[in-house]
Amino acid sequence: MVWRFIAKRVVIALLQLIGISLVVFFLIRGLDADPVARIVGLNATAEAVKQATESLGLHEAKLQQLANYLGIFSSSGKDGIMQGTLGESWVTGSSILEEVARFLPITLELITYSLIIAFLMAMPLGMSSGTRPGGFADRFTFVWGLFAGSQPEFWWGLMFVFVFFFLFQQAGWPSAPAPLGRLNPFLTAPESITGFILIDAVLRGRFDVWLDAAHHLMLPVFTLVFVISGPIVKMVRQNMLRVLRSDYILYARSAGLSRNKVARYALRAALAPAMTLTAIIYGFLLGGAVPVELIYSLGGIGEYSIRSILNLDFPAIQGTVLIIAMVSLVIYLVIDILHAFLDPRIAF
Amino acid sequence: MVAETNESTVAGSSTGNILEARDLSVRFPIVDGPDVYAVRNFNLAVKPGEFVGLMGEPGCGKSTAAMAFLGLVRPPGVIESGKVDFLGNDIFKMEEEAARQMRGRDIGMIVQNPRYSLHPMMRVGDQIANVYRAHNDVSKKDAWNHAIDMLRMVGINDPDRRVKAYAHELSSGMAQRVLIAIALSSTPKLLIADEPTSGLDVTIQAQFLDQMWDSCRQTNSAVVLVTQDLGIVANYCDRVVIMHEGTIVEDADVYTFFKSPQHEYSRRILNLQREAQEAGESVLGKIDRNAAPIVEVKDMSKLFPIRASESKVHAAEHVDFELRPGECLGLVGESGSGKTTIGRCVLRLVEPTQGEIIFRDRNIADIRRNEFRKFRGNLQIVFQDPLDSLNPRWTVHQVLSEPLKLHTELSGQAKEDRISELLDLVGLEPSMRFALPREMSAGRQQRASIARAIASNPDFIVLDEPTSALTPETTAEIIRLLMDLSAKLGIAYLFISHDLTTVKYICHRVVVLYLGQIVEVGTKDQVFNHPRHPYSRALLASHLFPDTTNRRVDRAVRETLEGEIPSPITENLPKGCYLYGRCPSQVDKCRDMPQELAVLDDGRSVRCWRVAEGDLPEEPAAH
Repeated sequence: MVWRFIAKRVVIALLQLIGISLVVFFLIRGLDADPVARIVGLNATAEAVKQATESLGLHEAKLQQLANYLGIFSSSGKDGIMQGTLGESWVTGSSILEEVARFLPITLELITYSLIIAFLMAMPLGMSSGTRPGGFADRFTFVWGLFAGSQPEFWWGLMFVFVFFFLFQQAGWPSAPAPLGRLNPFLTAPESITGFILIDAVLRGRFDVWLDAAHHLMLPVFTLVFVISGPIVKMVRQNMLRVLRSDYILYARSAGLSRNKVARYALRAALAPAMTLTAIIYGFLLGGAVPVELIYSLGGIGEYSIRSILNLDFPAIQGTVLIIAMVSLVIYLVIDILHAFLDPRIAF
Repeated sequence: MVAETNESTVAGSSTGNILEARDLSVRFPIVDGPDVYAVRNFNLAVKPGEFVGLMGEPGCGKSTAAMAFLGLVRPPGVIESGKVDFLGNDIFKMEEEAARQMRGRDIGMIVQNPRYSLHPMMRVGDQIANVYRAHNDVSKKDAWNHAIDMLRMVGINDPDRRVKAYAHELSSGMAQRVLIAIALSSTPKLLIADEPTSGLDVTIQAQFLDQMWDSCRQTNSAVVLVTQDLGIVANYCDRVVIMHEGTIVEDADVYTFFKSPQHEYSRRILNLQREAQEAGESVLGKIDRNAAPIVEVKDMSKLFPIRASESKVHAAEHVDFELRPGECLGLVGESGSGKTTIGRCVLRLVEPTQGEIIFRDRNIADIRRNEFRKFRGNLQIVFQDPLDSLNPRWTVHQVLSEPLKLHTELSGQAKEDRISELLDLVGLEPSMRFALPREMSAGRQQRASIARAIASNPDFIVLDEPTSALTPETTAEIIRLLMDLSAKLGIAYLFISHDLTTVKYICHRVVVLYLGQIVEVGTKDQVFNHPRHPYSRALLASHLFPDTTNRRVDRAVRETLEGEIPSPITENLPKGCYLYGRCPSQVDKCRDMPQELAVLDDGRSVRCWRVAEGDLPEEPAAH
C-alpha cells in the first residue's frame, strides 16, 4: 500500500515538475527584459549583440529553445534536462547543477535546524498553553507570538546583530560573531560531503570548524526560530485545547488511565496537524529565508535565486525553481507518509 | 432473583449507600456571558443492588452529572461545590492516584458517542489493554489477549481481527460494545451508563441490559443508567430520577412514576406517548381492504456486488408486499435486514436486481427516465436525519418552493398560499417560513422535511426511520403529525423503523424482515400480540415497551436470540433457514431446508415450516 502510494505520488510530482518547468520557461521569456543587453552592456555593437544572442541560443524560436532546454531534438548540440543537466549559468558560465549543489545545502542546513528547534520548542510550549489556558506558558506564548509576528524577520535579524554582536562586544561580553558568512575567514571549510557544514565537520574530524560553524549559525537559526515558532505554538495549543475537550480524552480519564497515559493520548492527536504546518513552513522557507541569508551573508539558495533573477540568468532561474520545487515535493511526500503512519484514518 | 420486586431486594441488602451526591454543582464559564450551571444543587443516593434510571430532556445536565460522580468534568467546566461519597470516601478529596484507581475499577463508565470516545488513532485492542493495565499488573501481551477475550465476551464476531481495528472502522453498535467490554471487565461496584444502548439493535440491547441487571442483583452492585428511553426505564429500573435544568425534580419508584408522574416534564412525555397511541388507534381500521392496491412489490431482490469479489451483499431477497390507499405498512427488522434498501427500491432510487414494483397498475421500471421525474411527485420519502436531508443554505420557503416548481403549475400568490397551507398542515409557525434548518429544532426540521414530502400531493410516502434521530418527546409529536396527515390526506405510508413502539402506534400491517427476507407479514394485532415466527417472537420479546405491567426482568423466561445477525454476503448466508444457529426452536432439518413464505389460516404469512405445519403452537407474545 505504502509503495503504491509513493509511486502514485512520484508520478504526480513528475507531472507537477514538468508543469512548473514549462510555466517558468515561458514566463521569464515573456518578460519585457533583455538578458543579452544585461550581459554585453548597453554600448555593445550590433555584431556583439548578435553574437551573444546566438551563443545564448536566444535567436532560436521559443519552442526550439525549449527543446534545447529539455535536451530533446536539440539544435545546439548541448545536453538538456533529459541528459541530467540544467545547463550553464549565463553569468558565471559554470554548471547550474554544481552551483545549486553548493548553495542549496546552506539554506537547507539553516532552515532544517531552525525548524527542528522550533518544533521541539513549540510542542511542550503549545501543550502546556493548551493544558492551562490563561496560565504562564499561555500568556508567554501569546505575548511572544504577538511580538515576534508583528515585525519582519530582517528587522529582527538586524536587531539581534546589533544586540548580540555589537552591544555585547562593546560591553566586552562573549558575543556572536560578525554576520559575515558561515565560518571565520581564517578557517578553511572542510571538503563538502553533505554540504551541511556541521555534519561535514564531524565527518572530516574538524572539530575546530564545527565549533566555529555552530557559533556562526547560532544567530541566523535563532532569528528564524524566533519568528516561525509563533504559528507552530499556536497550532499545537489550539489542537491541544480541542483534543482535551474531546470525548476520548474524557473517556480515557473516566476509565482510570494515568495522567501520563492521558497526556500521551492527547499528544498523539495533537501532533499530526503541527507536523503538517511545519512542513508547509519548510517549503516556504526554501525560497523565503532570503532576508536572513542576506543579513548574515550566508549565501544560500534564496540569495542565489534573487541574484539570478536580477541578472536575468534564465538557466539559473529555471534550475533553481525546478530544484526548490523538487525538494518541496519530497518534503510534502515524507510528511504525508509520516502523517498516515500517525493517523490510521488517512488512507494511502 | 428475577421475580423479586425491587423493594425487597434493596431493603434486604442495604446497609449504606454506594454513591451519595450532595449539593453538587458544575459550572461552565462562558466567554462574553454569564456562567452556565449544568448541574445545580444535585442530590442523589444510590443503594447497593439498585438500578436507577436518570432521565431528562436533552441539555438538562444528566451526562455532566454522571461524569461528575467520577470527579471529572469536560473542560472548561469546573465542579463548583458539593461532594460525592463513594462507599464513604469523598471523591473530590481523594488523592489523585487513589481517584484514578477507583475510576474504571470500582466505578465503571459507559459513555455516549462510543465512536468518538475511542481514540481515533489507536487500535481498539491497545485501548482496551491500556485500561486493563491501568488496574492490573499484567504484561502487554497478556493485556492484548485479554482484550480479545473481552471482545468475544460482548459478542463481537471475529475478535482476533476486530481487536486490531480503529474506531472509525467499527460500526457505532460495535464501538458501543467495546466500551461495554471495558466497563464490565473489572466487575465494578457501580456502573454509570450514559445512553449505553443507543446504537444497538433491540436483541443486543436486551442481551446487554439483562446482563447488567443480573450482575447488579447478583453482586449487589448498583447501576445508574442515563437514558431518554421510557421503554428501558419501564423494563429495568427500580427507581426513576428526573432531572430538569441541572437539578432533580422527581425521584420515584418506577411503578409510581408511570402511574402518577409528578413533574410537568414527566407528565408531558408520558402523555405524549399515550396520545400518540390514541391518535394511531383512532385512524386505524378505516382501510378498505378490497380497494385496489396502490403499491405492489412482486418478488423483488436486490444484490449489491462487492468490488473485486464474486460474492454479493444480499440486501433483499424475493420480497412481496402490497399497500392499499391510506394504509400504513410497517417494515421492521434489525440493522442489516434490508429495510432501507427495500424502501429505496420501491422509489426507484436504487434499481432492484429482479422483480417488479407496480404503482397504480404501472410497472415503474418501464417508465422512462424523464417521464419518471414528473411521476416522482407521487412517490416521496422522508429521511432519518432531518438536518442532513435539508439544504443547509435554504430557508423553509426555498425548500418548499422546489417541489412546487417541479411538480405543480403553481406560481406567484397561489404558490405562496400553498406554502402557508403546508406550514399549517405540518404545524410549523408562520415565523418559520424564512428560517434556515440550523435555526430550527430537530422536530421542526423534520416537520419541514415532511412538508416538502407532501407538497406535491403524493399518494405514497416512504418514511425511512423518520423518528430515530429525535428525542422521545419529539418522536411522539411527529408520530401524531404523520397520523393526522394520513387521516386528512389519505396518504399511504411505508414506515421503515427499528423502533417497534412507534410502529405499534401507527401501522395497520407489519412486515418483519430478517437478513433481507420477509419472515412474517400480518396485521398489527397478529404480529404484535401473537407473533408466530421465532424471529418475530424474539424481536418483540427483546423490544422494550414503556409499560411496567409486564417488565422484561420479571418474566420467567426472557426470550432472546444468541449471537448477532450475520453480515448478508453470499458465503455467510445459511443454506437452509436463515435463522438457523440462533433460533430457539430449530431442529436439525432446518439447517439445509430453505424456507418458503406460507400463508396461515388467519391470513398472515410466515417463513417457517414448523409454524406452517403447526409444530409451534400459537402463544400470546411474551412482552
